[in-house]
Amino acid sequence: MTIHDPELQPPSPHEPIELTLARLLRIGSLISAVLIAAGIGVMLLGNEAVATRLVTAGLLALLATPIMRVITAGLIFVREKDWRFACFCLVVICALAAGILLGQGHGG
Amino acid sequence: MWQGSGMLLQTLEIFLIAISAGVFGSMLGLGGGIIIVPVLTLLFDLPMRTAVAASTVSIIATSTGAAVAFLQDRLTNTRVAIWLEMGTATGALTGALIAGYLNQRFLYVLFGLLLAYSGYNMFKTRKNELPEGVLPDRLSQKLQLQGSYTDRQLGKRIDYQVTGTIAGLIVMYFSGIAAGLLGIGAGIFKVPAMDQIMRIPFKASTATSNFMIGVTAASGAVVYFARGDVKPMIAGPVVLGVLLGAILGAKLMVRLKSSTIRKLFIPVIIYTAFEMIYRGLK
Repeated sequence: MTIHDPELQPPSPHEPIELTLARLLRIGSLISAVLIAAGIGVMLLGNEAVATRLVTAGLLALLATPIMRVITAGLIFVREKDWRFACFCLVVICALAAGILLGQGHGG
Repeated sequence: MWQGSGMLLQTLEIFLIAISAGVFGSMLGLGGGIIIVPVLTLLFDLPMRTAVAASTVSIIATSTGAAVAFLQDRLTNTRVAIWLEMGTATGALTGALIAGYLNQRFLYVLFGLLLAYSGYNMFKTRKNELPEGVLPDRLSQKLQLQGSYTDRQLGKRIDYQVTGTIAGLIVMYFSGIAAGLLGIGAGIFKVPAMDQIMRIPFKASTATSNFMIGVTAASGAVVYFARGDVKPMIAGPVVLGVLLGAILGAKLMVRLKSSTIRKLFIPVIIYTAFEMIYRGLK
């Protein structure tokens, strides 16, 4: 049986989930911002092909960040043996994956 | 399409407008599509598909940029967010599945009326700084949804309980359907649901909504990308501006009173309600 009173639970040896996720989101947005800014800079120099590729890479990095966030949160819950919330994350991941597959089917 | 200085000027203009959309969206827990889409279509004469795709990508930027500050201040309730994301994600999936079988006009009116009603409720409680006397339901206790944050404006620690756990999830499911079907309402349904049904302090509601909107937008954005609707030279400056704006907006928001943010939210929800009802009836 799990104990639900937070006072009775042993303190987690790991940092709080908020700080891990904050770090992940900061890294994701930083990579994305640097790539997009570099792309716009290259465009000013006149190389449009390279610029487009850099900006696209930046947008993809941004897009991957929230998906990574759900996966990371799920892994943290597994590590903490919080199976209920690990399951919730799995439901979210499956719904996202199904939505992506379905949407592409429509657009294709 | 555009050459030399004309293109540079356009990039700069988009960038500056995107900053304001980022500030505004991050403070209110919204995606900022309410600014980005009309600006790109009306001011820059871009096709609707390009504007909506750029706006969807920018929702991720609002969410990601602001969430760092909100998470560090513990304003974001991650457990509530993950619980409710089940509703929004499965709702968005349902919306995509049933699209085409339902009358969109009817849905616009229905969701518009719903928003008008929650706008009215929000107006009634406009003077309340924090919810009082909230008793957590059993599920909320079981899932440990309660939260606490240090309010920089009030200068004290706020401990709060969460109620309406199942009702909140159901509303999120329908808000997900609205997002999947109509492509609208990143945060406009989430904030009132957390504020009025789950009785979460307003600042924690907008911060948690901000955290959630990136996930739903990501699955939509992947689809737009695959279809080639995301134009890098439009979406790029939008994202860069929104990211910067969201970081600034989050820093500003943690220093504001909950009641101030609520007062900023009310005109937006009323405007969106009328716009949706108009779209359904015109």
